Amino acid sequence: MAHLVPKPVPRASAESRPFWDGVQERKLLLQHCRSCGNYWFPPSALCRHCLSPQSDWREVSGRGRIYSFVVYHRLYHPAFEQDLPYVVAIVALQEGPRLLSNIAGTPWQEIRCDLPVRVAFGDDGRGMMVPQFSICDE
Amino acid sequence: MIESARTLRNRCAIVGAGNSRLGQVPGVSSLDLFMEAAAHALEDAGLRVRDIDGLITRGPDDAYCHHQQIGERLGLNARFSTSLDNGGASQILAVAVAVMAIEAGLATTVLCGYGRDAWSRTHTSAAARVKNQTRPDSQHDQEFGPEFGYFGAVAAHAFGARRHMHEFGTTREDFAEIAMAFREHAIRNPQAQSRKPLSPEDYFNARLIVSPFGLYDCSLRSDGAGAVIVTSTERARGLRPRPVLIRGFGSHNNLTGWFANDNMIRTAAFESGQAAYRMAGIAPSEVDTVQLYDCFTYMVLVQLEDYGFCGKGEGGAFVRSGALRLGGTLPANTSGGQLAEAHVEGMLQIVEGVRQLRGCYAPERQVSNAEIALVSGHGGNQVCHSTLILQAG
Repeated sequence: MAHLVPKPVPRASAESRPFWDGVQERKLLLQHCRSCGNYWFPPSALCRHCLSPQSDWREVSGRGRIYSFVVYHRLYHPAFEQDLPYVVAIVALQEGPRLLSNIAGTPWQEIRCDLPVRVAFGDDGRGMMVPQFSICDE
Repeated sequence: MIESARTLRNRCAIVGAGNSRLGQVPGVSSLDLFMEAAAHALEDAGLRVRDIDGLITRGPDDAYCHHQQIGERLGLNARFSTSLDNGGASQILAVAVAVMAIEAGLATTVLCGYGRDAWSRTHTSAAARVKNQTRPDSQHDQEFGPEFGYFGAVAAHAFGARRHMHEFGTTREDFAEIAMAFREHAIRNPQAQSRKPLSPEDYFNARLIVSPFGLYDCSLRSDGAGAVIVTSTERARGLRPRPVLIRGFGSHNNLTGWFANDNMIRTAAFESGQAAYRMAGIAPSEVDTVQLYDCFTYMVLVQLEDYGFCGKGEGGAFVRSGALRLGGTLPANTSGGQLAEAHVEGMLQIVEGVRQLRGCYAPERQVSNAEIALVSGHGGNQVCHSTLILQAG
């Protein structure tokens, strides 16, 4: 269903452009440090663990757990009116970094912290894919 | 480090405290509200602008060089002045920096304050009410947030509340007790914004905002300002009001972020509190009253744990004991706090701490025999924290 007001389109920065390009191809890419081997997020030029400038973008498992979540009952932006109530979660990826996202496909009453999730991708009528997550098996 | 901290204990004092009109004050800018509070603080101290040589402020988030705008209105050339940028932790930090500036010989008498027009700003139009923003658009995230419908401070703190509930079995009943206790205090405060009694039914029947938070877990949108005047304890002895000594202070910022590690359930209040206790040379059991940064009910509960008034995970049982109520073992936010008096980003907590230690209230609102008050500030992107320990002079 078309939204009268389009959902906000993320404005990629120079640093985050590869992340968003990956998402458009349904790939979850994170920066991986060639020096210390850690992943980090959100994107930035230097490794957040060892400050090395040597990194590459790697596709990650897309699996993780819900660290915490909230349910929006109040409207803050007209584009989300038809979604109310909707869930915003902090997903702790297996690789370490935590991402903010939505949990799709499960009623909000059934969502719990620490449930396992896997990445899905959705457009939601905004003309650009964003990463979302759905509850999955262990 | 411990030795150097101790040398600042009780070296300075707060000699004046004031606030502006609070709540809904349409048509008055945040700068003019600040000026109202500053004038009251000066009057309280029996001082004039010419006695002030330091100014530390934190403006509304879109005011550039806030202290310069305030100084211009005061007609003040300051020996030491600056604006701070730690969100709701800035107000206590201002007092801490004032002590350091005085001890360094850069100033003798410093005005610290904060003012905001958050009620007016969020009620200019229907669209402004929906957005409920106290900061301009340009300061908000452009990615990794709005595309998921993530907006506002309510959700950020609700994440912490949810995780705390998950790990420790904390419930909304616990949050309700905090909201009801502070509302009960506000009823005794004629200048409080919310003075209607709040029952458990009111709390649970209220609409959810961003769950687990409902309407009464959230602090108020307020116009208002507060100000205090800091000087050396030696000078303070020569002034009219009973001084309130700055026994200790602390600061800690979890700059790794609110989402990192366990920062949202073991907050920077822990380290900030440890630093303040160390400087003050006291234990939590010696604190008579707390004025905590209560942007949301949950933040009170987690700070009580982090400050050591109860163990980690025991905040729910602690508040349900009635400890926070006037007459309880640890009367908290005795003005009604930001949940019920007015939300001025922690500034009014300092003012209330000073007034309680002066013993200036009628018995129904006065913490009996209050000698030590702990005041907290929290803010920025939820990661900045500051602590002030005050002592009756």
